[in-house]
Amino acid sequence: MTEPVSVAMGQGSSCWGCYQSLVDIHLRLADVLPKLDIKFWACVADFKHKDLESYPDGSIAVGFYEGVARTEEDLHLLKTMRKKCKTLIAFGSCSCFGGIPGLANFYDIEDALKVKFKDNKTVSGGQVPTENVPPFEPVIRPNSDYVDFDIYLPGCPPTSDLIFTAVSALLEGKEIELPPYAVCHYCNREKKETPIPEILRPYEGVADPDRCLLEQGYVCLGSATWGLCEGQCVNRGATCRGCFGPVPPISQDQGAAGVGMLGTYAPIEPDKILEKCKDPLGMFWRFSYPSSHLGRIRIRREEAKTK
Amino acid sequence: MTEAAQETKTTSEDWEPKIVAFCCNWCSYAGADLAGTSRIQYPPNARIIRVNCTGRIDPEFILAALDMGADGVLVSGCHPGDCHYTSGNLKMRARWALIKRAVEQAGIDPRRIRLQWASASEAQIFADGVTLLTEQVRKLGPLRGQWR
Repeated sequence: MTEPVSVAMGQGSSCWGCYQSLVDIHLRLADVLPKLDIKFWACVADFKHKDLESYPDGSIAVGFYEGVARTEEDLHLLKTMRKKCKTLIAFGSCSCFGGIPGLANFYDIEDALKVKFKDNKTVSGGQVPTENVPPFEPVIRPNSDYVDFDIYLPGCPPTSDLIFTAVSALLEGKEIELPPYAVCHYCNREKKETPIPEILRPYEGVADPDRCLLEQGYVCLGSATWGLCEGQCVNRGATCRGCFGPVPPISQDQGAAGVGMLGTYAPIEPDKILEKCKDPLGMFWRFSYPSSHLGRIRIRREEAKTK
Repeated sequence: MTEAAQETKTTSEDWEPKIVAFCCNWCSYAGADLAGTSRIQYPPNARIIRVNCTGRIDPEFILAALDMGADGVLVSGCHPGDCHYTSGNLKMRARWALIKRAVEQAGIDPRRIRLQWASASEAQIFADGVTLLTEQVRKLGPLRGQWR
Protein backbone atom coordinates (compact mmCIF):
# COMPACT_ATOMS: atom_id res chain seq x y z
CA MET A 1 0.00 0.00 0.00
CA THR A 2 1.22 3.47 -0.85
CA GLU A 3 1.94 6.25 1.65
CA PRO A 4 -1.23 8.02 2.84
CA VAL A 5 -1.79 11.51 1.43
CA SER A 6 -1.69 14.28 4.01
CA VAL A 7 -4.82 16.44 4.06
CA ALA A 8 -6.10 19.39 6.09
CA MET A 9 -9.75 20.37 6.26
CA GLY A 10 -10.43 23.93 7.29
CA GLN A 11 -13.71 25.73 7.63
CA GLY A 12 -14.71 29.33 7.86
CA SER A 13 -18.24 30.58 8.43
CA SER A 14 -20.58 28.05 6.87
CA CYS A 15 -23.15 25.40 7.68
CA TRP A 16 -20.63 22.51 7.64
CA GLY A 17 -22.82 20.88 5.00
CA CYS A 18 -19.95 20.27 2.59
CA TYR A 19 -18.12 18.09 5.11
CA GLN A 20 -21.43 16.40 5.86
CA SER A 21 -21.61 15.60 2.16
CA LEU A 22 -18.03 14.28 2.30
CA VAL A 23 -19.01 11.93 5.13
CA ASP A 24 -22.05 10.93 3.04
CA ILE A 25 -19.83 9.06 0.60
CA HIS A 26 -20.75 6.39 3.12
CA LEU A 27 -19.30 2.89 2.64
CA ARG A 28 -16.80 4.23 0.14
CA LEU A 29 -15.22 6.01 3.12
CA ALA A 30 -13.74 2.61 3.96
CA ASP A 31 -11.71 2.80 0.72
CA VAL A 32 -10.80 6.48 1.07
CA LEU A 33 -10.03 6.98 4.75
CA PRO A 34 -7.03 4.61 5.09
CA LYS A 35 -5.35 6.50 2.24
CA LEU A 36 -5.70 9.85 4.03
CA ASP A 37 -3.38 11.17 6.68
CA ILE A 38 -5.60 13.79 8.33
CA LYS A 39 -3.47 16.61 9.68
CA PHE A 40 -6.25 19.00 10.62
CA TRP A 41 -10.03 18.65 10.71
CA ALA A 42 -11.56 20.68 13.52
CA CYS A 43 -15.04 19.53 12.48
CA VAL A 44 -14.53 15.91 13.55
CA ALA A 45 -11.65 15.94 16.05
CA ASP A 46 -10.19 18.30 18.61
CA PHE A 47 -7.66 20.15 16.47
CA LYS A 48 -6.58 23.69 17.37
CA HIS A 49 -5.19 26.44 15.19
CA LYS A 50 -1.77 25.94 16.73
CA ASP A 51 -1.76 22.34 15.45
CA LEU A 52 -2.10 23.58 11.89
CA GLU A 53 0.36 26.40 12.49
CA SER A 54 3.00 23.99 13.79
CA TYR A 55 3.40 22.17 10.46
CA PRO A 56 6.18 23.40 8.14
CA ASP A 57 4.98 25.59 5.22
CA GLY A 58 3.85 23.58 2.18
CA SER A 59 4.11 20.30 4.08
CA ILE A 60 0.48 19.23 3.65
CA ALA A 61 -0.40 17.84 0.23
CA VAL A 62 -4.07 18.83 -0.03
CA GLY A 63 -6.22 21.35 1.82
CA PHE A 64 -9.99 21.81 1.68
CA TYR A 65 -11.45 25.15 2.72
CA GLU A 66 -15.19 25.37 3.31
CA GLY A 67 -17.16 28.56 4.00
CA VAL A 68 -16.47 32.28 3.80
CA ALA A 69 -14.25 34.61 5.82
CA ARG A 70 -16.86 36.34 7.96
CA THR A 71 -14.63 36.75 11.03
CA GLU A 72 -10.97 37.56 11.52
CA GLU A 73 -10.44 34.00 12.72
CA ASP A 74 -11.79 32.60 9.43
CA LEU A 75 -9.45 34.86 7.53
CA HIS A 76 -6.48 33.77 9.63
CA LEU A 77 -7.36 30.10 9.05
CA LEU A 78 -7.75 30.66 5.31
CA LYS A 79 -4.34 32.28 5.04
CA THR A 80 -2.72 29.61 7.22
CA MET A 81 -4.27 26.88 5.09
CA ARG A 82 -2.81 28.47 1.97
CA LYS A 83 0.64 28.59 3.58
CA LYS A 84 0.65 25.00 4.77
CA CYS A 85 -1.01 23.24 1.82
CA LYS A 86 0.50 22.54 -1.59
CA THR A 87 -2.90 22.23 -3.27
CA LEU A 88 -5.76 24.24 -1.83
CA ILE A 89 -9.32 23.45 -2.85
CA ALA A 90 -12.19 25.92 -2.57
CA PHE A 91 -14.71 23.46 -1.22
CA GLY A 92 -18.37 24.32 -1.81
CA SER A 93 -20.12 27.34 -3.27
CA CYS A 94 -19.48 29.57 -0.24
CA SER A 95 -15.77 29.11 -0.65
CA CYS A 96 -15.90 29.51 -4.45
CA PHE A 97 -18.34 32.41 -4.89
CA GLY A 98 -19.52 33.64 -1.48
CA GLY A 99 -22.62 31.48 -1.36
CA ILE A 100 -25.51 31.87 1.05
CA PRO A 101 -23.48 33.66 3.79
CA GLY A 102 -22.57 36.18 1.07
CA LEU A 103 -26.19 37.32 1.02
CA ALA A 104 -25.32 39.22 4.21
CA ASN A 105 -23.79 41.81 1.88
CA PHE A 106 -27.35 42.90 0.98
CA TYR A 107 -27.11 44.87 4.22
CA ASP A 108 -24.28 46.74 5.86
CA ILE A 109 -22.65 45.17 8.91
CA GLU A 110 -24.61 47.32 11.36
CA ASP A 111 -27.98 46.19 9.95
CA ALA A 112 -26.82 42.57 9.94
CA LEU A 113 -25.73 42.77 13.59
CA LYS A 114 -29.04 44.37 14.49
CA VAL A 115 -31.04 41.50 13.02
CA LYS A 116 -28.78 38.78 14.41
CA PHE A 117 -28.01 40.10 17.89
CA LYS A 118 -29.51 43.43 18.95
CA ASP A 119 -33.13 43.27 17.76
CA ASN A 120 -33.33 39.52 17.54
CA LYS A 121 -36.93 38.45 18.23
CA THR A 122 -35.89 35.60 20.51
CA VAL A 123 -33.73 37.62 22.93
CA SER A 124 -34.38 40.69 25.05
CA GLY A 125 -31.70 43.31 25.56
CA GLY A 126 -29.51 41.58 22.99
CA GLN A 127 -25.91 42.70 22.57
CA VAL A 128 -23.19 41.94 20.07
CA PRO A 129 -20.81 39.51 21.84
CA THR A 130 -17.28 40.83 22.20
CA GLU A 131 -15.64 38.44 24.68
CA ASN A 132 -13.94 35.21 23.59
CA VAL A 133 -15.18 35.57 20.02
CA PRO A 134 -13.31 36.83 16.97
CA PRO A 135 -14.34 40.25 15.56
CA PHE A 136 -16.35 40.45 12.33
CA GLU A 137 -14.97 41.43 8.96
CA PRO A 138 -16.89 44.53 7.75
CA VAL A 139 -17.99 42.83 4.54
CA ILE A 140 -17.81 39.36 2.99
CA ARG A 141 -15.29 39.22 0.18
CA PRO A 142 -14.91 36.11 -1.99
CA ASN A 143 -12.13 33.90 -0.58
CA SER A 144 -10.26 34.16 -3.87
CA ASP A 145 -9.62 37.84 -3.06
CA TYR A 146 -7.46 36.78 -0.13
CA VAL A 147 -5.70 33.65 -1.40
CA ASP A 148 -5.20 31.77 -4.67
CA PHE A 149 -6.99 28.46 -5.00
CA ASP A 150 -5.76 25.60 -7.16
CA ILE A 151 -9.12 23.91 -7.60
CA TYR A 152 -12.71 25.12 -7.33
CA LEU A 153 -15.20 22.46 -6.29
CA PRO A 154 -18.55 24.24 -6.08
CA GLY A 155 -21.91 23.00 -4.91
CA CYS A 156 -24.24 23.60 -2.03
CA PRO A 157 -23.13 21.05 -1.03
CA PRO A 158 -20.86 19.37 -3.64
CA THR A 159 -22.52 16.02 -4.24
CA SER A 160 -21.01 12.96 -2.57
CA ASP A 161 -20.27 11.46 -5.99
CA LEU A 162 -18.43 14.60 -7.07
CA ILE A 163 -16.37 14.57 -3.88
CA PHE A 164 -15.59 10.89 -4.30
CA THR A 165 -14.45 11.44 -7.91
CA ALA A 166 -12.33 14.41 -6.90
CA VAL A 167 -10.76 12.75 -3.86
CA SER A 168 -10.03 9.54 -5.77
CA ALA A 169 -8.31 11.50 -8.53
CA LEU A 170 -6.24 13.38 -5.97
CA LEU A 171 -5.19 10.18 -4.23
CA GLU A 172 -4.00 8.73 -7.51
CA GLY A 173 -2.16 11.98 -8.26
CA LYS A 174 -4.26 12.59 -11.38
CA GLU A 175 -5.80 15.85 -12.54
CA ILE A 176 -9.43 16.33 -11.56
CA GLU A 177 -11.55 16.52 -14.68
CA LEU A 178 -14.72 18.50 -14.22
CA PRO A 179 -17.05 18.39 -17.26
CA PRO A 180 -17.92 21.98 -18.29
CA TYR A 181 -21.62 21.42 -19.06
CA ALA A 182 -24.67 23.26 -17.74
CA VAL A 183 -27.41 21.55 -15.75
CA CYS A 184 -29.58 21.32 -18.91
CA HIS A 185 -27.04 18.87 -20.35
CA TYR A 186 -28.09 16.34 -17.70
CA CYS A 187 -31.81 17.17 -17.67
CA ASN A 188 -34.10 14.49 -19.16
CA ARG A 189 -37.03 16.82 -19.80
CA GLU A 190 -38.15 17.67 -23.32
CA LYS A 191 -37.58 21.18 -24.63
CA LYS A 192 -39.62 22.62 -27.51
CA GLU A 193 -38.28 26.18 -27.88
CA THR A 194 -41.49 27.95 -27.00
CA PRO A 195 -41.65 31.38 -25.36
CA ILE A 196 -43.54 31.43 -22.06
CA PRO A 197 -46.68 33.57 -21.70
CA GLU A 198 -46.45 33.96 -17.93
CA ILE A 199 -44.10 33.20 -15.07
CA LEU A 200 -45.29 30.81 -12.36
CA ARG A 201 -44.19 30.54 -8.75
CA PRO A 202 -43.26 27.00 -7.65
CA TYR A 203 -46.56 26.52 -5.79
CA GLU A 204 -48.74 27.44 -8.78
CA GLY A 205 -50.23 24.86 -11.14
CA VAL A 206 -49.07 21.30 -11.65
CA ALA A 207 -45.87 20.82 -13.64
CA ASP A 208 -45.71 18.37 -16.55
CA PRO A 209 -43.04 15.85 -15.48
CA ASP A 210 -41.70 15.40 -19.01
CA ARG A 211 -41.33 19.00 -20.24
CA CYS A 212 -38.71 21.66 -19.56
CA LEU A 213 -39.69 23.47 -16.36
CA LEU A 214 -38.63 26.82 -17.74
CA GLU A 215 -40.89 26.44 -20.77
CA GLN A 216 -43.78 25.77 -18.42
CA GLY A 217 -43.12 29.11 -16.74
CA TYR A 218 -41.17 28.05 -13.66
CA VAL A 219 -37.93 29.98 -13.18
CA CYS A 220 -35.24 27.31 -13.48
CA LEU A 221 -31.62 28.47 -13.49
CA GLY A 222 -30.32 25.25 -15.03
CA SER A 223 -29.00 26.87 -18.19
CA ALA A 224 -26.94 29.36 -16.17
CA THR A 225 -25.57 26.81 -13.73
CA TRP A 226 -22.64 24.41 -13.80
CA GLY A 227 -24.04 20.89 -13.99
CA LEU A 228 -21.65 19.06 -11.64
CA CYS A 229 -24.78 17.94 -9.75
CA GLU A 230 -25.79 15.94 -12.84
CA GLY A 231 -29.26 17.45 -12.79
CA GLN A 232 -30.43 16.00 -9.47
CA CYS A 233 -33.13 18.59 -8.78
CA VAL A 234 -34.52 19.08 -12.29
CA ASN A 235 -34.87 15.34 -12.89
CA ARG A 236 -36.83 15.00 -9.65
CA GLY A 237 -39.25 17.81 -10.40
CA ALA A 238 -37.69 20.81 -8.65
CA THR A 239 -36.37 23.87 -10.44
CA CYS A 240 -32.64 24.58 -10.39
CA ARG A 241 -31.72 27.34 -7.94
CA GLY A 242 -28.20 27.70 -9.25
CA CYS A 243 -26.22 26.27 -6.33
CA PHE A 244 -23.25 25.11 -8.41
CA GLY A 245 -22.49 28.63 -9.60
CA PRO A 246 -21.73 29.79 -13.14
CA VAL A 247 -20.79 27.43 -15.96
CA PRO A 248 -17.02 27.58 -16.69
CA PRO A 249 -15.34 30.02 -17.04
CA ILE A 250 -16.58 30.48 -13.49
CA SER A 251 -15.48 34.12 -13.42
CA GLN A 252 -18.63 35.07 -15.36
CA ASP A 253 -21.68 36.56 -13.71
CA GLN A 254 -24.20 33.78 -13.05
CA GLY A 255 -27.03 36.13 -12.10
CA ALA A 256 -26.64 38.16 -15.28
CA ALA A 257 -26.70 34.95 -17.31
CA GLY A 258 -29.88 33.92 -15.50
CA VAL A 259 -31.58 37.25 -16.15
CA GLY A 260 -30.55 37.06 -19.81
CA MET A 261 -31.93 33.53 -20.03
CA LEU A 262 -35.28 34.45 -18.50
CA GLY A 263 -35.63 37.48 -20.80
CA THR A 264 -35.09 35.23 -23.81
CA TYR A 265 -37.81 32.80 -22.75
CA ALA A 266 -40.28 35.32 -21.36
CA PRO A 267 -40.38 38.45 -23.56
CA ILE A 268 -43.47 39.69 -21.67
CA GLU A 269 -44.49 42.99 -20.05
CA PRO A 270 -42.13 44.17 -17.28
CA ASP A 271 -44.97 44.39 -14.73
CA LYS A 272 -45.94 40.77 -15.25
CA ILE A 273 -42.34 39.68 -14.66
CA LEU A 274 -41.79 41.80 -11.56
CA GLU A 275 -45.05 40.59 -10.05
CA LYS A 276 -43.61 37.06 -9.93
CA CYS A 277 -39.91 37.88 -9.48
CA LYS A 278 -40.09 40.23 -6.54
CA ASP A 279 -36.47 39.72 -5.49
CA PRO A 280 -34.27 39.31 -8.58
CA LEU A 281 -31.03 39.85 -6.65
CA GLY A 282 -31.86 37.02 -4.26
CA MET A 283 -33.24 34.81 -7.02
CA PHE A 284 -30.51 35.01 -9.64
CA TRP A 285 -27.48 35.90 -7.51
CA ARG A 286 -28.38 33.66 -4.57
CA PHE A 287 -25.11 31.71 -4.57
CA SER A 288 -22.70 34.09 -6.29
CA TYR A 289 -23.49 37.60 -5.04
CA PRO A 290 -20.08 38.57 -3.52
CA SER A 291 -18.17 37.55 -6.65
CA SER A 292 -20.62 39.15 -9.12
CA HIS A 293 -20.38 42.65 -10.59
CA LEU A 294 -23.15 44.04 -8.38
CA GLY A 295 -21.58 42.37 -5.36
CA ARG A 296 -18.19 43.93 -6.17
CA ILE A 297 -19.72 47.39 -6.29
CA ARG A 298 -21.38 46.75 -2.92
CA ILE A 299 -18.12 45.48 -1.37
CA ARG A 300 -16.28 48.62 -2.49
CA ARG A 301 -19.03 50.71 -1.00
CA GLU A 302 -18.90 48.94 2.38
CA GLU A 303 -15.12 49.07 2.48
CA ALA A 304 -15.12 52.80 1.74
CA LYS A 305 -17.26 53.27 4.86
CA THR A 306 -14.71 51.67 7.16
CA LYS A 307 -11.74 53.62 5.79
CA MET B 1 -4.20 55.66 -15.54
CA THR B 2 -3.26 54.61 -12.03
CA GLU B 3 -6.02 53.99 -9.53
CA ALA B 4 -4.89 56.88 -7.33
CA ALA B 5 -5.05 59.29 -10.25
CA GLN B 6 -8.52 58.06 -11.10
CA GLU B 7 -9.66 58.53 -7.51
CA THR B 8 -8.62 62.18 -7.45
CA LYS B 9 -10.28 62.71 -10.79
CA THR B 10 -13.60 61.31 -9.63
CA THR B 11 -13.67 63.59 -6.60
CA SER B 12 -12.42 66.79 -8.23
CA GLU B 13 -14.74 69.55 -9.38
CA ASP B 14 -14.20 69.11 -13.08
CA TRP B 15 -15.57 65.55 -12.92
CA GLU B 16 -17.69 64.58 -15.90
CA PRO B 17 -20.11 61.65 -15.87
CA LYS B 18 -19.02 58.66 -17.91
CA ILE B 19 -21.99 57.17 -19.72
CA VAL B 20 -21.89 53.94 -21.71
CA ALA B 21 -24.61 53.90 -24.35
CA PHE B 22 -25.57 50.67 -26.10
CA CYS B 23 -27.43 51.48 -29.33
CA CYS B 24 -29.03 49.02 -31.69
CA ASN B 25 -27.80 49.13 -35.26
CA TRP B 26 -31.19 49.53 -36.91
CA CYS B 27 -32.90 52.26 -34.91
CA SER B 28 -30.99 54.12 -32.24
CA TYR B 29 -27.54 54.05 -33.82
CA ALA B 30 -29.08 55.44 -36.99
CA GLY B 31 -30.99 57.89 -34.78
CA ALA B 32 -27.70 58.98 -33.18
CA ASP B 33 -26.25 59.37 -36.66
CA LEU B 34 -29.18 61.56 -37.65
CA ALA B 35 -28.74 63.61 -34.48
CA GLY B 36 -25.19 64.25 -35.64
CA THR B 37 -26.01 65.16 -39.22
CA SER B 38 -28.93 67.32 -38.04
CA ARG B 39 -26.50 69.10 -35.66
CA ILE B 40 -28.64 68.48 -32.60
CA GLN B 41 -26.72 69.46 -29.48
CA TYR B 42 -26.35 66.91 -26.69
CA PRO B 43 -23.72 66.23 -24.00
CA PRO B 44 -20.57 64.45 -25.17
CA ASN B 45 -20.50 62.17 -22.12
CA ALA B 46 -22.04 59.14 -23.80
CA ARG B 47 -19.65 56.57 -25.28
CA ILE B 48 -21.79 54.85 -27.88
CA ILE B 49 -21.33 51.15 -28.51
CA ARG B 50 -23.14 49.75 -31.52
CA VAL B 51 -24.79 46.36 -31.13
CA ASN B 52 -26.86 44.57 -33.73
CA CYS B 53 -29.92 44.46 -31.50
CA THR B 54 -30.72 45.34 -27.90
CA GLY B 55 -31.59 41.66 -27.53
CA ARG B 56 -27.87 40.99 -28.02
CA ILE B 57 -27.01 42.91 -24.86
CA ASP B 58 -26.13 40.46 -22.12
CA PRO B 59 -27.15 41.89 -18.73
CA GLU B 60 -23.52 41.32 -17.78
CA PHE B 61 -22.48 44.11 -20.20
CA ILE B 62 -24.52 46.62 -18.23
CA LEU B 63 -23.41 45.42 -14.80
CA ALA B 64 -19.77 45.06 -15.89
CA ALA B 65 -19.83 48.64 -17.22
CA LEU B 66 -20.96 49.92 -13.81
CA ASP B 67 -18.40 47.70 -12.08
CA MET B 68 -15.57 48.89 -14.30
CA GLY B 69 -16.09 52.61 -13.81
CA ALA B 70 -19.08 53.85 -15.82
CA ASP B 71 -21.30 56.25 -13.87
CA GLY B 72 -24.38 55.51 -15.95
CA VAL B 73 -25.59 53.14 -18.67
CA LEU B 74 -28.01 53.94 -21.48
CA VAL B 75 -29.65 51.27 -23.59
CA SER B 76 -31.44 52.54 -26.67
CA GLY B 77 -33.34 50.41 -29.16
CA CYS B 78 -36.24 50.15 -31.56
CA HIS B 79 -39.78 50.69 -30.31
CA PRO B 80 -41.48 47.49 -29.09
CA GLY B 81 -42.97 45.80 -32.13
CA ASP B 82 -40.51 47.46 -34.53
CA CYS B 83 -37.52 45.19 -33.89
CA HIS B 84 -35.51 44.28 -36.99
CA TYR B 85 -35.31 40.76 -35.55
CA THR B 86 -39.00 40.72 -34.48
CA SER B 87 -38.55 40.32 -30.71
CA GLY B 88 -35.02 41.28 -29.60
CA ASN B 89 -36.12 44.48 -27.89
CA LEU B 90 -38.92 42.66 -26.06
CA LYS B 91 -36.29 40.37 -24.57
CA MET B 92 -34.29 43.40 -23.50
CA ARG B 93 -37.40 44.97 -21.99
CA ALA B 94 -38.05 41.85 -19.90
CA ARG B 95 -34.43 41.67 -18.76
CA TRP B 96 -34.42 45.36 -18.00
CA ALA B 97 -37.19 45.04 -15.40
CA LEU B 98 -35.09 42.51 -13.50
CA ILE B 99 -31.79 44.36 -13.95
CA LYS B 100 -33.26 47.63 -12.76
CA ARG B 101 -34.67 46.11 -9.60
CA ALA B 102 -31.49 44.11 -8.91
CA VAL B 103 -29.38 47.26 -9.32
CA GLU B 104 -31.64 49.05 -6.86
CA GLN B 105 -31.39 46.15 -4.39
CA ALA B 106 -27.60 46.24 -4.61
CA GLY B 107 -27.68 49.82 -3.37
CA ILE B 108 -27.13 51.66 -6.67
CA ASP B 109 -29.50 54.48 -7.61
CA PRO B 110 -31.64 53.11 -10.50
CA ARG B 111 -31.61 56.59 -12.10
CA ARG B 112 -28.09 55.74 -13.25
CA ILE B 113 -29.44 53.36 -15.88
CA ARG B 114 -31.94 54.15 -18.58
CA LEU B 115 -33.77 52.18 -21.25
CA GLN B 116 -35.30 54.15 -24.08
CA TRP B 117 -36.83 53.53 -27.47
CA ALA B 118 -35.72 55.78 -30.34
CA SER B 119 -36.27 54.96 -34.00
CA ALA B 120 -33.92 55.93 -36.85
CA SER B 121 -35.90 59.13 -37.46
CA GLU B 122 -36.17 60.15 -33.80
CA ALA B 123 -32.85 61.96 -33.46
CA GLN B 124 -34.34 64.45 -31.00
CA ILE B 125 -35.66 61.69 -28.71
CA PHE B 126 -32.23 60.05 -28.70
CA ALA B 127 -30.47 63.32 -27.90
CA ASP B 128 -33.02 64.18 -25.19
CA GLY B 129 -32.49 60.75 -23.60
CA VAL B 130 -28.73 61.24 -23.46
CA THR B 131 -29.19 64.73 -22.01
CA LEU B 132 -31.64 63.52 -19.38
CA LEU B 133 -29.45 60.63 -18.24
CA THR B 134 -26.29 62.75 -18.18
CA GLU B 135 -28.00 65.40 -16.04
CA GLN B 136 -29.44 62.77 -13.68
CA VAL B 137 -26.04 61.15 -13.24
CA ARG B 138 -24.33 64.53 -12.85
CA LYS B 139 -26.68 65.28 -9.95
CA LEU B 140 -25.99 61.88 -8.33
CA GLY B 141 -22.22 62.31 -8.66
CA PRO B 142 -19.58 59.67 -9.41
CA LEU B 143 -20.67 56.07 -8.74
CA ARG B 144 -17.47 55.43 -6.81
CA GLY B 145 -17.88 58.58 -4.79
CA GLN B 146 -21.53 58.06 -3.87
CA TRP B 147 -20.81 56.29 -0.61
CA ARG B 148 -18.08 58.53 0.75
